[in-house]
Amino acid sequence: MTGLVLLVLVGLGIVLTGLPAAVVLIGVASAGAAFGVLTGVVPFALLSALPGRLVNLLENDLLQALPLYVLMGLLLDRLPVADALYRTSAAILPRGPAAQLVAGMGLGALLGPMNGSVGASVLGLSKVVAPRLAAHGVNEPARAALVAVASTLGVVIPPSLVLILLGDAMLGAHTIAVTSTGRQDRVINTQDVFHGALAPAGLFLVLSLLVAWLAGRRLPASRADAPDERPSLGQVVLAILSVAFLLVLLGAVALGYFYAVEAAALGAFVLFAGGLVTGRLTGAALRAVLTQAMATSGALFALLIAATTLTLVLRILGTDKLVADWVTALPGSELTIVAIVLGAIGLSAFVLDAFEIIFVIVPIVIPPLLIRVADARWVAVLVLLTLQTSFLLPPFGYALMMVRGTLRYAGSLAALTRALVPFLLAQWLVLATVLLFPQLAHLGEKESDRTRATPPVSAQELNRRLEDMLTPIPELVPPQ
Amino acid sequence: MMARLIGGLDRFVAAVLSGGRWLLLPVVTLLLLQWPLRDIFRAWSRDANDLGQWLFALYVAMAFTAATRAHTHLAADAVARRYTEQSRRLIARLGVLLGLAPWALFVVIGGAKLVIPSLRALETFPDTNNPGYFVIKLALWLLAGLILLQGAIDLARPRGSAG
Repeated sequence: MTGLVLLVLVGLGIVLTGLPAAVVLIGVASAGAAFGVLTGVVPFALLSALPGRLVNLLENDLLQALPLYVLMGLLLDRLPVADALYRTSAAILPRGPAAQLVAGMGLGALLGPMNGSVGASVLGLSKVVAPRLAAHGVNEPARAALVAVASTLGVVIPPSLVLILLGDAMLGAHTIAVTSTGRQDRVINTQDVFHGALAPAGLFLVLSLLVAWLAGRRLPASRADAPDERPSLGQVVLAILSVAFLLVLLGAVALGYFYAVEAAALGAFVLFAGGLVTGRLTGAALRAVLTQAMATSGALFALLIAATTLTLVLRILGTDKLVADWVTALPGSELTIVAIVLGAIGLSAFVLDAFEIIFVIVPIVIPPLLIRVADARWVAVLVLLTLQTSFLLPPFGYALMMVRGTLRYAGSLAALTRALVPFLLAQWLVLATVLLFPQLAHLGEKESDRTRATPPVSAQELNRRLEDMLTPIPELVPPQ
Repeated sequence: MMARLIGGLDRFVAAVLSGGRWLLLPVVTLLLLQWPLRDIFRAWSRDANDLGQWLFALYVAMAFTAATRAHTHLAADAVARRYTEQSRRLIARLGVLLGLAPWALFVVIGGAKLVIPSLRALETFPDTNNPGYFVIKLALWLLAGLILLQGAIDLARPRGSAG
């Protein structure tokens, strides 16, 4: 129960202190560990597992993608790619606010997978899209809502950073579930999450474009003084090359020609070379980009380090066992259980952002869920869609907070929420559709990749397996 | 005297981070090279991966403190922005004093069992026997050491100065 108190303290600490989430997580974990040691609940020796776990993070292959995505986002912000893409797509559509909104949404879909992070997308779209929407008479809440939603498209369109990190967390959770149940399933990997997310992401993109178009149609026609920014030939060529490069990158990752980390390295390298060739990445600009890349990567990595510390303390306190017991005791079908767990993740999204949820909540709630629900790919896609929602949920959704800060949004939160509602409804429609039709997460899946369905297990057997799962791992056993 | 010491520490940390930011370029290059080395040349892919791995470890070990200095850590200040500047500074100091500093000290002391033997043996990568694995473990001390130094700087910095 102490662990649950710690989780509540984390939420309160983040909201009330204004301290960096990483500092709150580390502070709460340290306080919990100290309390546990002083009361004799936590043997001090168990905490010695922490340095080893941190070294595991430092040598994690997948996490190498993190600074690469950050670098890509920063380079995209400095290069004229976004501008060329936006002008070209807006030029294809009939003139008016609807075209601008659709072009902005489309730009989010194209930039998202390339820069991988919501924060970088917000910065890019705020600079390129928001001023043009304003020039075409789109009101402030609608502008902010569009930039926020478009910035989260990269979350579900592979190969995004959130997708990679969730893939890694799902791998850990599924390994625990497969080991403890003795199922013969192949453990899910990032590639499976990529493939599973493609159809739902496509569906959400289509719905978002439709909502943007309809929202634009309701707005008054563009002002007479709105700029008519036709792209130059060079911009059209750059836009075509960028889309082609993105499709090649996406296709190569989807087909398994190279890993997501290598795709990120390729993207960063091409943009970097482009910056050097065009002279936009001169000495001072290059130093500024590298400084910013390190600071932004550090923020994400700090969160990971802090969450690793907290989850170790929670595990020592037996919180994972408590949550596992709750999930085991949940009545109803697989659908009901998944819906309840997703609801809990959704609730935590009111105070935690997607990265914090991946690092803190997923390792606790998903392993017991995957013991009861064998379809890991389906669960991963549902969690991904829930995380995307979490970026947009007022008042603390990360994309919303970023947009309000970057655009210096002066309107009310209620107006922004009203502008967001159609997009959120579209998002929840996709979530509900995937929930009700799990095959959407399995489109194009090969027979060999399928997660094996397990025969129903008795409650008694389930409890025994959970007990086995939660026996202390070797690194947590105190030295004799 | 104290101010000069803190100023010196501040410049030292800034210099370390200023040098460390360049590590990202070889990390990008090495990770990119992995693909052609593995699929076209069928050689040295693992070596590129090992080298990239320890450069990455050093890079992210420094990045935590870089984020602290640049104020890029993720934070929700919708409520805290209403506090006075003095209260916010006090909360920030408490965060360092009760959260980051004891944690970093624990990592330095608790990590000694991992770092020192690895350093003494100049531990190599287990799968390839390539040199440099000890650098990854040493990066743990770099991570915690920089957090401690930055914490000391932030705590000792005179009130009202930029931080």
